[in-house]
Amino acid sequence: MMINTVEPTPLTLLCPIKNGAVGEQSYASITREYLQSLENHDRSPMAAVPDTFLCRFFILNDVFYEGSPAQEDHLQSKYLTFCCNFHGDTETYLRGFWQHAEKAIREIWRYCVAFDKVNDADSFVAYIKKCTLKTTYYFNGSTGVPLAEQLKALYLKQELSQFACDTQGHSSQQLRAAFRHFVARTQPDNLAEPTWRPGQNFLS
Amino acid sequence: MSNIAGKAYAMNVITPIGRWRAICNLIIFCLVKTRVMAKRLDGLKTLSLIHYARWVIIRPHQFPRLSEEQPKENLKYAYMLFFSNFNGSWTQYVDSFHMAIPGGLDLLWKKNIRYPKSVPLQPFHSYIVHNQIWTEHYYNPYPLASANDVKAAVALKPALCEFIHTSENLSDEEFARQYKAFLFANQAYLGKMAPAPVVSLANQATQERRRLNELYGRLDQDQPKGQTHDD
Repeated sequence: MMINTVEPTPLTLLCPIKNGAVGEQSYASITREYLQSLENHDRSPMAAVPDTFLCRFFILNDVFYEGSPAQEDHLQSKYLTFCCNFHGDTETYLRGFWQHAEKAIREIWRYCVAFDKVNDADSFVAYIKKCTLKTTYYFNGSTGVPLAEQLKALYLKQELSQFACDTQGHSSQQLRAAFRHFVARTQPDNLAEPTWRPGQNFLS
Repeated sequence: MSNIAGKAYAMNVITPIGRWRAICNLIIFCLVKTRVMAKRLDGLKTLSLIHYARWVIIRPHQFPRLSEEQPKENLKYAYMLFFSNFNGSWTQYVDSFHMAIPGGLDLLWKKNIRYPKSVPLQPFHSYIVHNQIWTEHYYNPYPLASANDVKAAVALKPALCEFIHTSENLSDEEFARQYKAFLFANQAYLGKMAPAPVVSLANQATQERRRLNELYGRLDQDQPKGQTHDD
């Protein structure tokens, strides 16, 4: 299969969480609970962040003991881990992230070390850079073209596949008329609409 | 908490490597980017179920320390983090990896503490299970699509736009002929998508819970003020 050569950008963060608690619940546990409470798919706060491909959050509580003769190892902090693939350069992406999901960012990173100094897009970008890990090896099995382009392409694939089924057995005249209607309805050059929404998990 | 979003599964694995061995592994990763060594990972390209995957080696002093108040890490090992986004079930993925690039896996996890090698399968399964971390929130912008759907769609769109442009002034008969040729040429990219099939009982339970939540959420919105579901 032909693969578009635009490469996505990987971002991997380890953000240390403060070793503290609110009552009997640790900061790491509160962060985990918040992440688990987030809505999924098109209601996820990440759906509002431009050009976000697949991304995830989890809490790295500790490292694993592999059994004898390995030595036991333990982390001194728990880490909020964010792993993301997106289109474009990192700074533009992070500014878009802040602009479109500031409320969620403040909740997710609330208990992270030094996040109290983040109060705008500039300080958010600076903070994230300090938490960024260098990707050692990246494998792109998909494409990195802008998300709007991907979603429109998926919409068109779905609609054209249906059109091909619906027009079987049509006469030349009927086929031509139906195709003109299809083009007018689907507007292949218009990325804005009609298209799939980011995170859309059902067919209308 | 779910490792699944639509048709994608998020895998997170963290494994220890000796501090000095980590340098050796970093060199291996540099080498597999070269044309000669890249052949060892050619099998990855045949695993079209993968959206994106990455390996990150982090040495003890590289764990972010953002304040003097944050305790210093005092680790005996370096760590390799592996993140993957793929379609299908965990078992299908791990088995595919084991079948397609056993040599490549052994190269990338070379000298990781107690790595059992990718063959035989059962110890490899156990190793991944032991070192896997569950995802708290996973977002997928196209839950209905597989990686192959995305690649096919991105290839199909320009072909469709070109066909629309070139077929504008054709007669109806010639248009029909060209349309069939267009479909024939692009048949590999066609195919309708649908919601993900159930890949596990846990996923089925999650989906059912979401369906009920959405159903009752909708009822809440539809109910006139002052009424409850019990009315």
